[in-house]
Amino acid sequence: MPSPIALTSPPRQDSIFKKRSPSYLTAMRSAQSYLIALSEADARARVRDSASVTSTPALSLSSSATTLSEDTVLNDTPYDNSDGLAYPTVPPTSEHIVSADHLQFGFCPNENYRYKSAHKPGTKLEVHEQDPPYYIFLTTYMSYLLLICMGHIRDFFGKRFYPALFRHLLPFDGYAPLNSDFDSFYTRRFKTRIDDCFSAPVTGVPGRTINLLDRESKDYYHTFSLTGTTTRALNISSYNYLGFAQAQGGCADAVEECLRRYGVSTCGARLEGGTSELHVTGEALVASFLGQEDALISSMGFATNSTIIPALLSRGSLLISDEYNHASIRFGARLSGANVRTFKHNNMKSLESLLREVISQGQPKTHRPWKTILLVVEGLYSMEGTLVDLPTILELKKKYKFNLFVDEAHSIGALGPHGRGVADYFGVNPRSIDILMGTFTKSFGAAGGYVAGSKALIDRLRLRGHGGTYAESIAPPVMVQILASMASIMGVALPTSSAVEVAQQHPGPAHPSQLPAWMDLPPTLRDGSEGRMRLRRLAFNSRYLSRGLAKLGFITFGHTDSPIVPLVLFNLGKMCVFHRMMRARKTPIVVVVVSYPATPLVTSRVRFCVSASHTKEDIDTILRACDEIGDVLDLKLLPGERWPLERIMNNAAELVNTDD
Amino acid sequence: MTTTIDGSASALEPLFAFLSYALIQAESAVYKIPGSHVIARYVKSSHQNDPGRTVLEILLALFAIRTLLQSRTRADNGEKHFIQFSEKEVDELVDEWTPEPLGAPLTPEEQSDLASVPVVSGANGPRPKLANTGKQVLNLASYNFTGLAGNETINVRAIETLRKYGVGSCDVHMDLERDIADFLGTEASILYSQGFSTIPCVISAFAKRGDIIVADRGVNFAIQKGLQISRSTVRWFDHNDLKSLEDVLLSVEKERRKRRGTSSQDDSLSPRVSLRKDGAMVDLPELIELKHKYKYRLILDESISFGTVGRTGRGLTELYNVPATQIDMIVGSVANGLNSSGGFCAGSRIVVDHQRINGTSFVFSAAVPALLAVSASEGINILRNTPSILSTLQENVRAIRAVLDRVEAITIPSHAASPIIHIHLRSSAPAASVSAKPSNPATPAPREAPSFDIVGEERLLQDIVDEALAQGVWTTRARRLRGQELVDARPSIRLAVTAALSRKECERAAGVIKAAVVKVLAKRK
Repeated sequence: MPSPIALTSPPRQDSIFKKRSPSYLTAMRSAQSYLIALSEADARARVRDSASVTSTPALSLSSSATTLSEDTVLNDTPYDNSDGLAYPTVPPTSEHIVSADHLQFGFCPNENYRYKSAHKPGTKLEVHEQDPPYYIFLTTYMSYLLLICMGHIRDFFGKRFYPALFRHLLPFDGYAPLNSDFDSFYTRRFKTRIDDCFSAPVTGVPGRTINLLDRESKDYYHTFSLTGTTTRALNISSYNYLGFAQAQGGCADAVEECLRRYGVSTCGARLEGGTSELHVTGEALVASFLGQEDALISSMGFATNSTIIPALLSRGSLLISDEYNHASIRFGARLSGANVRTFKHNNMKSLESLLREVISQGQPKTHRPWKTILLVVEGLYSMEGTLVDLPTILELKKKYKFNLFVDEAHSIGALGPHGRGVADYFGVNPRSIDILMGTFTKSFGAAGGYVAGSKALIDRLRLRGHGGTYAESIAPPVMVQILASMASIMGVALPTSSAVEVAQQHPGPAHPSQLPAWMDLPPTLRDGSEGRMRLRRLAFNSRYLSRGLAKLGFITFGHTDSPIVPLVLFNLGKMCVFHRMMRARKTPIVVVVVSYPATPLVTSRVRFCVSASHTKEDIDTILRACDEIGDVLDLKLLPGERWPLERIMNNAAELVNTDD
Repeated sequence: MTTTIDGSASALEPLFAFLSYALIQAESAVYKIPGSHVIARYVKSSHQNDPGRTVLEILLALFAIRTLLQSRTRADNGEKHFIQFSEKEVDELVDEWTPEPLGAPLTPEEQSDLASVPVVSGANGPRPKLANTGKQVLNLASYNFTGLAGNETINVRAIETLRKYGVGSCDVHMDLERDIADFLGTEASILYSQGFSTIPCVISAFAKRGDIIVADRGVNFAIQKGLQISRSTVRWFDHNDLKSLEDVLLSVEKERRKRRGTSSQDDSLSPRVSLRKDGAMVDLPELIELKHKYKYRLILDESISFGTVGRTGRGLTELYNVPATQIDMIVGSVANGLNSSGGFCAGSRIVVDHQRINGTSFVFSAAVPALLAVSASEGINILRNTPSILSTLQENVRAIRAVLDRVEAITIPSHAASPIIHIHLRSSAPAASVSAKPSNPATPAPREAPSFDIVGEERLLQDIVDEALAQGVWTTRARRLRGQELVDARPSIRLAVTAALSRKECERAAGVIKAAVVKVLAKRK
């Protein structure tokens, strides 16, 4: 095998793959795929006749059921399926309603590949964190040491021989240096070496697959230039949990209608001339989705935390934060002027002893009692894949009387039998949580964020939050994407039902009055069946991938129901090789690799972000890739029972449905 | 007696044998490790030469182990203010503690304040329909300076983008970043996803604890938050007073010379040119001169002036004909200037690339949705190709000012060319004479604290706004975060002039505002 670091061609396929590949390929060349191609060609010919009259056939308001053929037709070149991504292995028959392009939302009709995401009452929420053998730690530390030494040597000579490259780090012409040499050391000497694995430019919809703009670098990744070609890859790197990142379908149609009616912008902050009726509708829907009294929507997810937390707390308050909380929470906490204490990640003993200490001690020095104590936790931690231990926290809340703020940036829409986040997953009353915060970027395929809570509190935040006065309000098309995707998760009640009754049942459907009157969702979205299917598929894919990886012998973090599956690589060097090998495969796969400072020093990892748009076969593809690469990179470090890949793939449903 | 000793010695015999055996085994095991011979020889010879050294080395090793095992975070328990309680006492304290409610319910004034915000039904633009009254109004409240809202080309481009990329964020903002850089004439630019959250992150990406920032006393709230989050030392100069700035720069210079060695490594100068609070503008050429003289870096906040000032809307640099490269970082708002969403920072490539890794809200947040980025690019295109938009805007500003400047009861602090017009009530007390007392650069409080009745003035201004709205002209009181801002600004009505209204309509709107001012103030007397 050639050195994986110098990898340019796809890696040699091992025996398992060889055995498998003939059947895999023949399936694609079967009569069915021939029929698909035939019907496409036919449709293309038909559209050409009509399209020659109007110049912009793309802007039609057709129903979603026909968009598959239409979109395929509008592409000048038919899909090349050499990577095995363009067509489903089992093509749709006339019984199936295909609502989306397979490249954006995979076709997976098998009802066995569904699972309901919910916490089994009575079971403990435990994470088995497995440490690797000691030599892994040793080599990881050694690799850091080596890189630090090399970096300093290169800095030493670089500053003497190429001063122009270091100008911004040294005093120049009387100006102080722009940033300190030490601050940027990690970026310059670690990240730059593997910069081809980060922020790869892409084009098109980041759905099930993604189009990467190919790029090359002639100066060791200091600069990149685009080669002009693109590579289509299986996308397991976007936070597209429910697969709503789509350019067709009912949601996109609603957004288009909105752009015609409302334009692009609302021109101002909420309190200064930028409030649209869509905001009022949207906030009511979000509140009923979450089961809270009221909600406030902000135009940026990060800013939701950084502008709302300062409005909640002031001097004399205490914010208790999980050590792995997101940067936006820390940003907001710092701006609030409140005291901040942290506890060990998800460790309820550490939290309780901290609570006992801070309440008994009171404020530092003065020992006055705290005005308020706000506990801020995340529903699902994006780096660890761990779920918050909500039942225990609520027990502690009863005893210690603190206020609870749950950041559901990743869990909203992704967890729970009804997609309502961690409260739904654990089956607790959402109103027992004081403030629910979340973003629309991930599950809803939109942008922005919300906070929800009691009416009095949200009204206070409308006035005191920085965003209402100073930040632009959320744009109409984004707001409508949220409304449409949220309504399709909830389902819409019949217009004859009473609004009060609908509002009382949680988690129930949305009432038609909570949506703009002009919004016309297709029937599968309206009755909630498609939203339910997406939730079930996401839950299945998450469990399948995380359990499959464990059975292959990989060390993964987090809970099995988490749609984020971190696979721990440990060594910094394995990170870029893993990324390159995944990308260079016959079916290219895009993954996100993260390391220090986003993770602890020794646990560099790859994060799989599972989506409902993936099919079971896509997860198979990923498992197979990991299986092969894992052997090369020595990643299968988990002791215990292992299954061969074939067994995992054939028993997927059983693997997912067994309890721990 | 001897027998007992013998007896015990014989009893211990197997133990001794075992010990010596274990010692030999351990020794041979140690010697199996490659290189251990060298170390053993070194230890032996060093101990022979100087036994004291062995003791010292053992102590050093123990110290190293202790340091490694020590917790890296400072434990609060160790502090002298910690009071030891028994478990029972802690339980009692926990039971006793009653927190304040997280958010107190709104007072009736606050409720009416919130209720006074009009809701737009349908698209917002120069003549929107309001949901509460169902009436069409002339809009001088929303930021639509160049009239891009509802532009047909932009809408079509947005729909095309939707069909290609969907709504979610996507990495296509590279085009917009290039367009902004080209438009302003800088090397590069970086896009953030909310205008308000841009400048705090830009400031905190470059300034850290120990750095010095010199800032205008009138900087907007976003900059204040940026200064707070950066933890830098801030020195303040009087609002828009370059003489005061020079004094402060001199005093900072002196301070630094006094304690050379601990001098700061990064100084930035961050005057605001945001027109938000009162619509005043800084004299840029003089500012640049000062920057070169004292070797400072300059952050310019153009969140209002970008897209509204200058011949084609390139902002202050165009107005004063200063090359944009002279300014280290230009921060602007895509939301206000281009009727889309987001903010940007333009500057040299090094400045921009640094933020791609160190700009907190850039790194930890999703990008602007593709269709909004494309709309903004199209907005720049329109500004480039139709310079008449900006001249229309200026004409409208002049038309409104011509009416309002003659109203006795109000004062307007805004620059004559500013499309943001703030209206203050003229205070009954005579204007405070400018005292010669220098201001203290360490505090943001101005030299002479102005006195005004916030509640009273706000109520009057709101009455004026309501009266104008009843007559079909939508204006807004400048909203503030009372209690959270460094200095409470004087209450005002804020007009945002737009090029999308005709001159006639602007004159009519100004007439309505004038009448409303006169009517409300007459009622007070």
